[in-house]
Amino acid sequence: MSLSLLPELEPLKDTLPVVDMRHVTISFDGPPVLNDVSFRVAPGETRILLGPAGVGKSVLLKLINGLLNPEKGSVLLFGDEISLMNEQELLPLRARTGMVFQEGALFDSLTVRDNVGYQLIEEGKLSGEKIDAMVKESLRFVGLEQTFSLFPSSLSGGMRRRVAIARALINQPELLLYDSPTGGLDPVTSTNIISLIVKQRDVRRTPSLLVTHRLQDAFMMCTHRFDEEKDEMVPLPKGVTHSKTTFMMLNEGRLIFDGSLHDLVHCENPFVKEFLE
Amino acid sequence: MAILSLDRTAKQLVLTLQDYSIFAWRSMMNLFRPPVYWSDFLMQSDIIGVGSISIVLLSGFFTGAVLALQSSATLSAFGATNITGRFVALTMIRELGAVLTGIMVSGRNASSMASELGSMVVTEQIDAMRALGVDPLRKLVTPRIYATITMLFFLTIVANAFGILGGAAVTVFLNHQNGTQYFSMAWEGLRFPDVAQGLVKPLFFGYIIASIGCFYGMNTTGGTQGVGKSTISAVVTSSVLIIVADFLITHVMLSFWPS
Repeated sequence: MSLSLLPELEPLKDTLPVVDMRHVTISFDGPPVLNDVSFRVAPGETRILLGPAGVGKSVLLKLINGLLNPEKGSVLLFGDEISLMNEQELLPLRARTGMVFQEGALFDSLTVRDNVGYQLIEEGKLSGEKIDAMVKESLRFVGLEQTFSLFPSSLSGGMRRRVAIARALINQPELLLYDSPTGGLDPVTSTNIISLIVKQRDVRRTPSLLVTHRLQDAFMMCTHRFDEEKDEMVPLPKGVTHSKTTFMMLNEGRLIFDGSLHDLVHCENPFVKEFLE
Repeated sequence: MAILSLDRTAKQLVLTLQDYSIFAWRSMMNLFRPPVYWSDFLMQSDIIGVGSISIVLLSGFFTGAVLALQSSATLSAFGATNITGRFVALTMIRELGAVLTGIMVSGRNASSMASELGSMVVTEQIDAMRALGVDPLRKLVTPRIYATITMLFFLTIVANAFGILGGAAVTVFLNHQNGTQYFSMAWEGLRFPDVAQGLVKPLFFGYIIASIGCFYGMNTTGGTQGVGKSTISAVVTSSVLIIVADFLITHVMLSFWPS
């Protein structure tokens, strides 16, 4: 049984896919890393991309906001074909997306305040006080208000990821891309990070694409919801899953699975079965 | 097999040249379209200009000094030691001031640009910047290029001045000659084309240093080892190109103003 949390919230106005990837192929001096990959991310939807390390998951994420260009096929972001756009045309579209990189990718010469507020500072539209307030709010969302004046080098790995999430969220993006946000972290920190992602999904209903090779994180996202009253992630009733959270799996450059958690666990594909075991 | 390898290398070379040309052109043109990062330009000017002053000053002074030492030994054979000042000033201003300053600044700053930007590439900070809607070329490369051009111009003037002073120190204190005569000969020997040649060169050298340093940095691959390779390539390429460009500029300028 699946559960939809959406009826409780304001109905979605826009039905155009946020991301529409069509028959995309890309290679780097060798065989294709991604071969004829097609999928969509609908408004309010969270898609989890599974697959072993080195299969092209991060590449796929970078194709979505134009950090890489496909050799074949097309990528539509917010309805705009981006694979033919130049860097200048892409910048405003990228500013509407938030991306959390594998290792955080914080600017090590800037403080946490300047990292989180980077986009706002560069836009130059807001005053310093307003930026400070927004940075603090974003840091509060990830529970790291006290790190405001620190440099990234003095933070732990988990804290850096949370700061990276705060940076991605500050401008209230219309799409979130998470590149292995829990990779290399201990189970407790990983659960904290997943809790933040679930909070963003359920509270702000931002469509997202999460790349991971950790099944436990993927399953947790599907079987939990964020309780705003308790301000924590709570499990859904037994047998109930989040209907707007679906899965994809990559192997050898191809998308070999696209469906719900139920479909995933009952999939007959030998690789999917092996991966799940 | 060898032909295939040659073919690949030639293609790679042409591709790199093409990439560099586009990169360098876009970086230069960014100055004429907003946003222009003036604060970054000033910060880079401080790092490149003020930070390099001590090495430029020392290398300029001792180059002038050694020129005076070497030339006076030769000139004394012809009884022409009185033109030491002219010799040192002309050599420093037309050639050595610009070239030596270029090579010193290249060693210090092309390497620093390549390693700094290279580290940002391998830790995905450049991608993060792009993902946050900021053009790294505009934010990181353009200010470095213009700051290097501006600062190298002034650093060359400093190197020239200290080179002439170094020559004077040797002439007066070691060769026990007349200081006034040294400066008088240095001043009288200089013509506009000499000064023009000495001041045009650093503009080209500054562009070479920054664009090569940033190009190698922004195209770093292969993790921390790749950062090391980029740094070495940036220094070697920019130093060699400075010498090649020096020859070409001298050739062109001499055709306009023959000695």
